[in-house]
Amino acid sequence: MVGILSYGAYIPIWRISRTELSRATGIPSMGGERAVAGWDEDSITMAVEAGLDCISDLDVRGVDALHFATTTPPYIEKQNATIIASALDLRRDVSVADFTSSLRCGITAIRAAVDAIKSGRCKRVLVTVADCRLPVPGSAQEQIYGDAGVAFLLGKERGIAEVKEFHVLNEPILGTWRRSEDRYVMQFDPRADNVVYVRVLSETIKALLEKAGLCLKDFSKIAFYANDPRQYVRAASAIGIDVKSQLQDFLFADVGVTGAAHALLLLAAALEDAKPGDRILCAGYGDGCEAFYVEVTDEIESINEKRRGVKGHIRSKKLLPTYELYMDFKRLRDRRWPEPAKASVVTYWRDEIFELPFYGMKCKECGRITYPVARVCRICGAKDKYEIVKLARRGKIFTYTYDFLLGPGGYPGDGVYPGIKAVIDLEDGTRVLLEVTDVLMGELDVDMPVEVTFRLIHQKSDYRFYYWKARPVRG
Amino acid sequence: MIGSLKDKVAIIGTGVTKFGEIWDKDAEDLLVEAVHEACNEANIDPVKDVDGIWVATFYTFSGVGGTAFSEPLKIFGKPVTRVENYCASGMDAIRNAAIAVASGLYDIVIACGVEKILDQGARGLPGVGEMNPQPVLPRLSAPAMFALCAVRAFKVWGWTKEDLAKVAVKNHYNGYYHPKAHFRRKIDIETALKAPIIAYPLGLYDCCAVSDGAAAVVLTRPEIARKLVGDEYAVIKGLGLAVETATPWLDPNFDFLGFPSTRKAADMAYKMAGIEDPRKELDFGIVHDCFTITELLDYQDMRLCKPGEGADLIREEVTTIHGDFPINPDGGLKCFGHPIGATGCRMVVELTRQVLGRAEGLQVKDAEIGFAHNLGGPFSVASVIIVARK
Repeated sequence: MVGILSYGAYIPIWRISRTELSRATGIPSMGGERAVAGWDEDSITMAVEAGLDCISDLDVRGVDALHFATTTPPYIEKQNATIIASALDLRRDVSVADFTSSLRCGITAIRAAVDAIKSGRCKRVLVTVADCRLPVPGSAQEQIYGDAGVAFLLGKERGIAEVKEFHVLNEPILGTWRRSEDRYVMQFDPRADNVVYVRVLSETIKALLEKAGLCLKDFSKIAFYANDPRQYVRAASAIGIDVKSQLQDFLFADVGVTGAAHALLLLAAALEDAKPGDRILCAGYGDGCEAFYVEVTDEIESINEKRRGVKGHIRSKKLLPTYELYMDFKRLRDRRWPEPAKASVVTYWRDEIFELPFYGMKCKECGRITYPVARVCRICGAKDKYEIVKLARRGKIFTYTYDFLLGPGGYPGDGVYPGIKAVIDLEDGTRVLLEVTDVLMGELDVDMPVEVTFRLIHQKSDYRFYYWKARPVRG
Repeated sequence: MIGSLKDKVAIIGTGVTKFGEIWDKDAEDLLVEAVHEACNEANIDPVKDVDGIWVATFYTFSGVGGTAFSEPLKIFGKPVTRVENYCASGMDAIRNAAIAVASGLYDIVIACGVEKILDQGARGLPGVGEMNPQPVLPRLSAPAMFALCAVRAFKVWGWTKEDLAKVAVKNHYNGYYHPKAHFRRKIDIETALKAPIIAYPLGLYDCCAVSDGAAAVVLTRPEIARKLVGDEYAVIKGLGLAVETATPWLDPNFDFLGFPSTRKAADMAYKMAGIEDPRKELDFGIVHDCFTITELLDYQDMRLCKPGEGADLIREEVTTIHGDFPINPDGGLKCFGHPIGATGCRMVVELTRQVLGRAEGLQVKDAEIGFAHNLGGPFSVASVIIVARK
């Protein structure tokens, strides 16, 4: 038996209205808003945030494996999941794996987790899925795509929803693609794709139902990937799903289509409204189709309030006022001064304990917690008498500044975007200096409650340096 | 235990270049100019008479090693030490030179400093990458470090942007009269308040400029001084230097309302000079006003007033040139800018010329004894020196 023990989601705070995208591109507005990852976010940071939402109230040391699925891995050569595992403070001996190259890789990662648990090799597997796909600038896809992450903790118990049957069908269909040298997602005539899409999805679901001995009517909610909301509804109708009662909302009005994360984000949204006994079917698409279903248990009622989930993240938002700002977030235009080229990758590796899992030192002589980890206690001077401790994730601002000379990531200031930095007293009494993100000029104040969030700091030495920033506590 | 060199060291020569955006000279030109001016004033020959040299540069591009001095001056074969101690490098060069003279090892020494920053083309101070190799811990520009203090002072004591602007107005008034100052322009409160933000809440006029310049002093013992310059010399009454943390923002006890480095260096200097109430016993002061908020905090740390009362001194015009205790009669860093290695030396040049009654700009009336204070790093290093007319 394998069940979903917990789920979590992450949707960036930033949204852009499709009216604004329409104004800038001339393509008619499809209405509503889409989620936009901040310029310091990517699939890794969003996977960490979704993972934190999923396991923050659970014992992270009990996780045996971490799967990360995305079509936009920040590293092609270097394991992305290892960075996520460290930031989530998982044990050193967890199995980690990146699942990528297909929009259905999220479902594949779930299936691999279920297999690992069934085989007895793992007791608990955390699956994180995030995507941050870049459409061709000025195209309709800019209105359709959205950025988000989602995470599920699977285990040997029934949990909140028992994972039942899977079915896979492979076919190298048209769909979307991106070669290793491409920056933007490519697509052929979508009309041809529609035909294949509906057939493959339909065959997969039919086969899954046969395996399970169920029919469509036995499902409370059905959720699957589609390239756009119109294709979603058309496919549902063609398959015989009751669009009004059975089809899970596509999250298009607030989020957009979130690539590899989308089908599972819809599953998380479905779980938020699920009742014990509900069956939910979830299907991913890309070079074939991969579907599974879950049966919701009584425990569903005890879990929903503990996380921000999909709804909480949708509620907490800020509007990007202009397309130009969207371009800066997505680095579609260059406007910064030449960047200092180098930072030490070796130092970054050596300091992992206080950079990624964010530990400090607790002095055994004076008992104070300070940051970062160093040989000598800065409070009492005791040498080599400390234990490392995981720092509190929340605190409040002691003092702050908007630094126009030294911008975010320590790049020279461009006179427009200040480096927003705050001295913060964490709840455990540790004092830290962090960059502040998800805010604009004028939003900070002394004593403002903040929480840490995992972000990309800079890319000096052509390397991605991840670390924690602070943000006002999200609602 | 720290001993005393009170009255053991005389300042017999001072030299300072024009400070500013000096495009047509390099670091070597500036240092030669300042050192020769100081040697002329001291009636010595830099080649024949000088036993040792301390030269301050902060940036390696302004000069490294002892050759930062020997190369431009073409004075070879002498003991030269380069001093780097953040923005207090210049005054630390003087401290080391004074110790050498007081020890009797050397008779006549030069302490000098130079910085040539504009050539680097940076906005604000150029970065010093190798100083902070940790790649992800956030870094702050110099104004941002002091902005953190302003935010706290506003919150805790109710100080305002107007209080900061008054410091800028006062120093610009003084600098207007100084021929060597970078900025010689009087400003009003509105100009300061309307300026663009550099690091909130500090605006353009809350910040000292990035400038080029050099300064030098010649030190010896009083008995030699008399032979060289008669009675025209000053003596060091006390000095101190204290080094604190490079990361005050990681210290949970740090209140951002003043600088322990300044307080400790001032205590050392006051003790050596036998000063108990500086406000009464001294005539004026030169403080490190890299930012307007720094000057107000310096008043408190130098014990001219109690914590929280710094803004009162500027509001009540105590520290103007006609006030009860003038501060920065030359216009300070606000008007001279801050060529880092040069600044501490320039302060001592100004201090010496004031007590000798030959200030180039505004002369403090009846100035006989005063202090200079040099602060560096993220409040990490402070140096204080007390100088009096012979």
